[in-house]
Amino acid sequence: MTDLTRKRFAQLGQQLQLEQLTAVRKQAEGWRNGLTALTGLVGVVFVLKGRESVAGMPAVWRWTTAALLVLAFALLLTGALAAVRAAHGRLGQRMWLSGDRLMSAVLDEVEHTQDVLTTARRCSVVGLSAVVAAIAVSWVVPAEAAKDEKPAGPQVLVSTPVGITCGELVLSNGDAVTVRTGGKGKLRRIPAGDVRSLTPTSRC
Amino acid sequence: MPPAHDLTPFREQELAPAGNPAVVRSADGRWYTVTGPCPNCHANSVFRVAYGVLGPYKGRWLGRRSEPEPHSGSILVYCQCGFPHPDRPSESPDTGCGAFWDVPVP
Ligand SMILES: [Zn+2]
Ligand SMILES: [Zn+2]
Repeated sequence: MTDLTRKRFAQLGQQLQLEQLTAVRKQAEGWRNGLTALTGLVGVVFVLKGRESVAGMPAVWRWTTAALLVLAFALLLTGALAAVRAAHGRLGQRMWLSGDRLMSAVLDEVEHTQDVLTTARRCSVVGLSAVVAAIAVSWVVPAEAAKDEKPAGPQVLVSTPVGITCGELVLSNGDAVTVRTGGKGKLRRIPAGDVRSLTPTSRC
Repeated sequence: MPPAHDLTPFREQELAPAGNPAVVRSADGRWYTVTGPCPNCHANSVFRVAYGVLGPYKGRWLGRRSEPEPHSGSILVYCQCGFPHPDRPSESPDTGCGAFWDVPVP
């Protein structure tokens, strides 16, 4: 019986032998593009989630956000590498390029590519969900946390003939300087005539 | 004296190997060379099988590369005699009479 499929695979093997260099270059090119895209991935994860947005959170939530981002990064990295692997394969690597060997290798490669693609898909979906979760955490959490945080306005030292007052600058105009002093936010109005100097300070 | 070549019509057929095909592995282990006459058109030919598209050696994390394991079983060889066998379709990648045969690897 003449089994032409076996001959076709032998022909494929001879062809691969002749085109080895082209094949390797193509594969390298594919990996280069994939790895460049990975660099962008770092940007996506950490620009979306800048440091400022976690600074005001309670420690538990800060760690949660960090863990989500690390998880997201690991998953997206795995997914991206798997996708590159699926797209650029390695048929004919580490095997004899004779017809029969190639025939079984092609079947293995098809199965393997499908598996890798599934992995890539799952990792990317879960990874992106983790990024979204991390962002959602930073939207929801600081609203509650902001109350017991330090005031956001500039702190000033107001010098008057009777002493120095330190607090958050609320309002300053021709009539008076108003500062918020103490943790509870009591407002104190100092008439402009009493003010000798107004000095910005980092803390009271 | 070179064996006579028969310009038979192109036909893809599996035949038993003729003569005594020699299967030799190259010194560096990367190639098998099958030398022997075509059982159909009698052209003497050399058929090569290389190890791997990405080179024969697999580094173990940039370490030493090891020599590939020997090829077991047989190698399918097809005629690449280069003569213009009649009736060969122009789109065929074949360069021979179409015959192919198995050569056991010692
Ligand atoms: Zn011939
Ligand atoms: Zn022939």
